[in-house]
Amino acid sequence: MKNGFLHNFYQHNGKVLGTTLLVVMTFWIGVLIILPQLSMLDYSLREYLPSGEVGDYTLKNYRHLIYGAEGASDAYNYVDLKVFMRTIIAAICVTIFNLLLCYPIAFFLGQVAKGMKLRIFAMLLIIPYWINEILRAFALKIIFGATGMINAVLIGMGILDEPFDFIRADVALYAGLGYAYILLMVFPMYNVIESLDGNQIEAARDLGAPWWRIHWRIVVPYAKPGISSGCTMVFMLSAGALAAPQILGGPSSLWFTQIIYQWFNDGGNWSQGAAYAVVLLVSCIIIVLAFMKLFKVNMGDIGK
Amino acid sequence: MNNLFLRVSIWVYLGIFFAYLLGPLVIMAITAFNSNGFPSVSPWECFTYAWFSELFQDERILNGIKNSVIVGIGTVIMSVTMGLSGALILTQVWPKLRATYYTIVIAPILVPGVVLGISTVVFWQRVNNWLGLGPDSILADGLFLTIIGQSTFIASYCMLVLVARLQRYDLTLNEAALDLGASHTQAFTKILLPFMMPAIATSAVLAFLASFENYNTTTFTFGDYPTLTIELAQKVRYGISPAISALAFIIIVGTVFGALTNEALKRRKELQAAASGDTVAKVDGGFRLPSFLSRNPAMIALIMLVAAVGLSVVNSMSHNPAQCIAQVQTERQEQRALEAEANLRALAERRAAAAAARAAEAAANGETVEEETTTAPASSGNSTGAFGNVFAPTNLDGAEDGEAEATEEAPASPFGSVFDPGNLETEGASDNN
Repeated sequence: MKNGFLHNFYQHNGKVLGTTLLVVMTFWIGVLIILPQLSMLDYSLREYLPSGEVGDYTLKNYRHLIYGAEGASDAYNYVDLKVFMRTIIAAICVTIFNLLLCYPIAFFLGQVAKGMKLRIFAMLLIIPYWINEILRAFALKIIFGATGMINAVLIGMGILDEPFDFIRADVALYAGLGYAYILLMVFPMYNVIESLDGNQIEAARDLGAPWWRIHWRIVVPYAKPGISSGCTMVFMLSAGALAAPQILGGPSSLWFTQIIYQWFNDGGNWSQGAAYAVVLLVSCIIIVLAFMKLFKVNMGDIGK
Repeated sequence: MNNLFLRVSIWVYLGIFFAYLLGPLVIMAITAFNSNGFPSVSPWECFTYAWFSELFQDERILNGIKNSVIVGIGTVIMSVTMGLSGALILTQVWPKLRATYYTIVIAPILVPGVVLGISTVVFWQRVNNWLGLGPDSILADGLFLTIIGQSTFIASYCMLVLVARLQRYDLTLNEAALDLGASHTQAFTKILLPFMMPAIATSAVLAFLASFENYNTTTFTFGDYPTLTIELAQKVRYGISPAISALAFIIIVGTVFGALTNEALKRRKELQAAASGDTVAKVDGGFRLPSFLSRNPAMIALIMLVAAVGLSVVNSMSHNPAQCIAQVQTERQEQRALEAEANLRALAERRAAAAAARAAEAAANGETVEEETTTAPASSGNSTGAFGNVFAPTNLDGAEDGEAEATEEAPASPFGSVFDPGNLETEGASDNN
């Protein structure tokens, strides 16, 4: 059977081109995607030796996440587990916030706005996306700082008496995470809603449906692939974000990726970092798959 | 009524949405021109271009830009090649395998960048060891690892763009070429590639931009070659300066420029297509914009942007904010002096209040009052006495004397150097970091 496919493939592409395609794809899928992940998994299961040699197999690195270092006073590794839970929950909250914020604009662009207006809005949406992630976080840091814009306005209006520390309270962090991935939520939804036949909406309106029911019964079910695609991307990216927590996070709060970063760069224990990275990856995938199952969407819809 | 309400709320929502999206960027851009050392808008001091010249003298930033360009070019070449192969195979792969294949090549987009960076470093280090190469071999090189790590997921983006175009390709064209005697390679380079060219260009631009702004993967792989994003992150994490705002301003203007150019060209093509349909051009006697401007607002905006940038560059040659900065500095010093005075006065009042409270307490048990009153004059000029020197006659003479005295003793006061005005600044800065 496999030969049949290869035979067809070569007949279709010729020898030179067919071989080139296969070699390039083997390199991408094999050497860049699959082998590094397996290598990381293998690494996380081994004892770390600072000399760079390969250690024996052990579950110590995973045990560390749950029970902490050997001989620690607490029964469980509360610090890391708390950070892990906070990362996952906060990422889910950011995703929901983005969904609520972006659905109206996606609908507006997809169905209401036409011609010139649509182009201007699309351009206004795209421009911020091409500004560096670091610079966007920096912009929020300027605004949320103790002498920043928001504090100045709030004090000027008499709402606050003295500057509120938005960074310590993690307000800046959540605003920054939501800010960073707005576009990835808008575009998948926009692409789907745009292809919805406007006559369906009009028919529903003629039949007397109020506006919220039109959305609930027609637009949202139709846009489900786009919604799930956007939510998946925003969730995965905010759970795996590193720049925003490093720049906007308060002194006490740590994102799970920051712990991984510390194991790699400051702690110098790569096996431990690899184990944490595996935990992050696997739990994110499980959560996404669970939500997809819950809302009955297919993996194939992602990225459309 | 209901309709009006809906319409108003839509516009309010749009206003909030775009304020959230664009407001931070606008404010950041403005801070690039404020002479205040901490990037801010509200205490506006002087309009200055100084942060731009500081930016262009920063070796690390310039070096970062160089590394970013090298990495970007490498990533574009690798990911467009892999993305094109991926797209071609996707259209040919068995329908049964297609879903699995699609999942595998799309997965890198969803895998956290941190995980991609770690797996790349770990894997290639192992390959390096396995081949018996030293730590300075090409496989352990920062540039190589960064290009490889970024291409892993950027190729998926490219593939998505390319597949969209490939689906509109008419396969019979290929068959026709083969029937006419072209080899497979010829059919590919002469027919398919030219057809794919617009999508290849788009995906190359996307790949370059994605590579340029990548942080999560690069932060594990960069080795000795920090890219611009890495340098920026280091700077932003350990102390922020308006020079970064200046860089952001340049990037924002560049992005707006690119977007407007793209839009203007697209619009022009459309207008030309529409015009070729009209055989008779409308003739009216009034003023008319040149043909490339009419009905093309993007072009007009583009020209205005270029003019504005040109004017400000010319202006920056002659603009000299030195006088203004000097003035602001004297003002600031004056203000600091005032603040210090106010602080000291508050301190004195607080002491007086404390002393009065103590005196009242003492008055309750009469004996001690007399003792205190007898000791107080002896210790005048010294704040150890219960009454301090608040009641000392010299204090009433002139505020200046009292201040001078207070200034001297302020650092030794129980409040430490909290009221030292110089402290406020550094404290504020460190809080913000």
